[in-house]
Amino acid sequence: MTWVGFLIPPGDKKIFFAWLGLCLFGLAILWSVTEPIQGPYKELDPVVAKSIFYRQIVWLIVGYGALLITARLPLRYLDNIAIPFFLTALVLLIAILAIGPTIAGSKRWFVLGPLRVQPSELAKVAFILVMANLLTRSTEEGRGLSATFGTFLVMAVTMMLVLREPDLGTSLVFLAVWVGMVFWFGIPGILLVGAGSAALSAVVNFYSERVVEQAWPWAVYLLLVVAVLYVARIGIVSKVTLLFINIVTGIGIPFFWDKLQPYQQERILTFFDPGRDAFGSGYQAIQSRVAIGSGGMFGTHYLQGTQKGLAFLPERHTDFIFSVVGEELGLLGAMCLLALFMVILMQGVHHGTIARHPFARFMAIGVVTYFAFHVVVNVGITTGLLPVTGLPLPLISYGGSNLLTSSLLIGLLLNVSSRTFDD
Amino acid sequence: MSPDRDFAVRSRIFRLILILLFLVLLVNLFIMMGPKSSEYKGQALENRQVRFRVRAPRGRVADRQGVILADNLFIADITLPATCLGADGPDSTLTRLMDWFGLPPAETQARLINQKEKGRGRLVLVGNATMPQIAAVEERGRQLPGVRVEARARRRYQYGSLFAHLIGYVGEVGQADLDTTGSFLGYRQGDFIGKQGIEATFEDVLRGTPGRKLEEVNASGRIVGRGTVWVPEVQPGRDVVLSISLNLQNALAEAIGQRVACGVAMSVTSGEVLAAFSNPSFDPNLMTVGISADQWNAWISDPAKPFFNRVIHATYPPGSLYKPVTSLAGLSLGLVDTATELEPCLGGWNFGDRYFRCWKHSGHGRVDHLEAMVHSCDTFYYQLGLMMDIDQLAAAARAFGLGRATTDIFPDEAPGNIPDTDWYNDRFGERGWTRGVLLNNAIGQGEILVTPLQMSLFAARLASGGRTPDPVFVISPPQAERTVEPLPFDPRHLAWCREAMLQVVVRGSGINAALDSIPVAGKTGTAQNPHGEDHAWFMGFAPADKPEVALVLLVENGGGGGAEAAPVAKAWLEAYFADPNRLAPAVSGRATAFATGETP
Repeated sequence: MTWVGFLIPPGDKKIFFAWLGLCLFGLAILWSVTEPIQGPYKELDPVVAKSIFYRQIVWLIVGYGALLITARLPLRYLDNIAIPFFLTALVLLIAILAIGPTIAGSKRWFVLGPLRVQPSELAKVAFILVMANLLTRSTEEGRGLSATFGTFLVMAVTMMLVLREPDLGTSLVFLAVWVGMVFWFGIPGILLVGAGSAALSAVVNFYSERVVEQAWPWAVYLLLVVAVLYVARIGIVSKVTLLFINIVTGIGIPFFWDKLQPYQQERILTFFDPGRDAFGSGYQAIQSRVAIGSGGMFGTHYLQGTQKGLAFLPERHTDFIFSVVGEELGLLGAMCLLALFMVILMQGVHHGTIARHPFARFMAIGVVTYFAFHVVVNVGITTGLLPVTGLPLPLISYGGSNLLTSSLLIGLLLNVSSRTFDD
Repeated sequence: MSPDRDFAVRSRIFRLILILLFLVLLVNLFIMMGPKSSEYKGQALENRQVRFRVRAPRGRVADRQGVILADNLFIADITLPATCLGADGPDSTLTRLMDWFGLPPAETQARLINQKEKGRGRLVLVGNATMPQIAAVEERGRQLPGVRVEARARRRYQYGSLFAHLIGYVGEVGQADLDTTGSFLGYRQGDFIGKQGIEATFEDVLRGTPGRKLEEVNASGRIVGRGTVWVPEVQPGRDVVLSISLNLQNALAEAIGQRVACGVAMSVTSGEVLAAFSNPSFDPNLMTVGISADQWNAWISDPAKPFFNRVIHATYPPGSLYKPVTSLAGLSLGLVDTATELEPCLGGWNFGDRYFRCWKHSGHGRVDHLEAMVHSCDTFYYQLGLMMDIDQLAAAARAFGLGRATTDIFPDEAPGNIPDTDWYNDRFGERGWTRGVLLNNAIGQGEILVTPLQMSLFAARLASGGRTPDPVFVISPPQAERTVEPLPFDPRHLAWCREAMLQVVVRGSGINAALDSIPVAGKTGTAQNPHGEDHAWFMGFAPADKPEVALVLLVENGGGGGAEAAPVAKAWLEAYFADPNRLAPAVSGRATAFATGETP
């Protein structure tokens, strides 16, 4: 293997170049965010320091290295370290709650000299590995529903730890990855329908109680459920169970609601009605939509976005970086970005489908779900489809831990794809 | 279903869900960035463009020579956005500024909260900032997001109380006005509006039109754009030029001195008012900046009423100043001629069961018409009055402009009162009064009331033979010309009247108004005042043979006109004839003509 050969990881080149493209895309946007706005303006401080651009380059190199390694690690080895690795991650998650510093109101980071390390990012990798490990065993031993419930407990523990930091966005990643991987494992359809309708029931009851403060939306929903169950061709036990789940989650949502942090409650209420707090938590959502919408087809051109350059857009280098893409590069730029992600996702599903070893399949689909969740939720938030919660756009947002994690996961995907070719 | 087939289906469903999710994102993006994009572009523009309303500089007020009497002083305020003071106290910027400027935090916050409740857009932290304060803000602007130095014009009345009654003053437009017509007329909170005098009457001329300035700002409200766009541009207010001469006004105020008095002087030919002063007066500068409660109470409770413009608001009985009216009425009706002698004056006249006294209780003896006028013999005028009826006397007075408002510059000018048959019938009933009122009317007492301004017009019309138009206070903007009704009197009778008034000053009661080199004609009067000491009147014109200027003086509670009012008139007339510019026409009134205007 030559030097250059070493720098090109094995496996699916589409995925590698999509990763590379996204990383360069992200650096270009970060450059713009750290530059003064161009246009009929006085020389303006971009407020976001140029140094983060160089830091991101360093992190990219680190991430690239991690990608090169994980792409080449034997699958057997990954399978073997999955459980100890996950336990280590759990210990770190507990440790940060116990001894971690409180930064900006939450305990998410360990501070190591100039570095801030986010254990929950590490936990994402560990969680995907351990899920793949457990589901592989269950497949081999022919377990069905018990595997679903077992992994659910693993997920729930992880999720609760992250939720305690508190970090709602990241905690939901575990839920999403679990859903994706368990679906891949083969979960009974009725369970999915049950979970889905339960979630829907919760949202509708929340809407009834807290937003319109009238009972009719949830009542209408329950009637609809009863009607569907009446015509559905399933057993009476399933029907009663489904109805029961719907009622329980609907009634239970206020209790869950009370467990949320006040700022999270505020954000969710503001999502339903951004005007209720146009200068508080609604501000980000409004400014982000204005930035993206004003980009139009081709954008305001690179370095010239006013929402970005005049600092109307908060968190423009991290969670709201997609708004800068929309504003400066327009629909065309946003579509290019989404297309690059789509390449990774579609290729990922493809390799997850054709991989021979179950561990590889599950790992691939875990990585795909991770990226899909991050992209859909992040873009959904910035475009106002979802309530604001902190979640980076992988490979694009500034942030070392996430760039490292995402690159490492891409490495795993490349690893899987290389097996489908030459294993 | 085999496990493999099952897996293939799941794989397909998985792909489908991913594609659907991305489609939702794409469709939403397409809607936002396609059809709704212009709406968002508008919002982005609204974010960064701030429209500033820029007040128009108010027009100035100048005297007839173009000397600026009222102008604008530009001062700088240090302002902050209202958000600097939230429910949880001041933000870091406000805290820093209070620290720098050494402002007491508690008081300052109370003041700002008060401003906030009034609903201003921005809060004024420091009004009329000093240069070091302005420099501090300008230099460290980066650390002070949203803080601005804003220039503001304040009205300055260069001569303070000298023109307070004429020019009036401006004040902040009131909430009541804003709620009704004010905002419709383009006024906004914090704008100034003329409250009194010329400032109020010529509000439309002086105010100008505010402009709007578009500036680009960043998220913290700091101006970051390189260019400024005006839509529309500010239209400064136009200047108003008065007919008053600063020099003559000053002379009048000096002549009056500490007396509670007023005076008016007008050009006999043009009717232009050259001086009009009422004492005591007040400093209008204090009215524009927010007067202290103590000062306000002192003015309001002052029995001499400093806000009261005696020239146009006060009405007094004219007393003996009215005798030329009675004479001219008698002459024009052919009741007497210029040399007629009536019954001798033995100190009064019997009418019915009442005895009407002459002011000279020892009596004037036998006097003819001329001597009666020169020595102001009441007994003669009692007899003359009884020869006519009340409406004939009233008509003669009205011919001179008495009994009505003479100018539309001051909408609250008092019209005075020239009573006639209808008036007495209204007041007392048809049987409630007798011809006895004529005795009082003939000597300018009773129910007759006049303003000093009306009397100056009377004097001017006597002097000009009736050619003086109604008083003119404003040269520019040009006022509508008034047509002058000719007097219904024989010019010979008017000339006789002027001769009699010359004699009054030469050897009669007006001798205290005589000048060394210029012949002065005049008439003194002592208006009986039931509430206290009599008011002293003097009216006159000069030079007697070729009249230029007419003058009226009234000293409240002064006593005899000859002793109290005539010397004041003399002092002013001396100043008048010493003024080389006294006959110079007024400036054309364009702003460029104000070459001499920049007085300290």
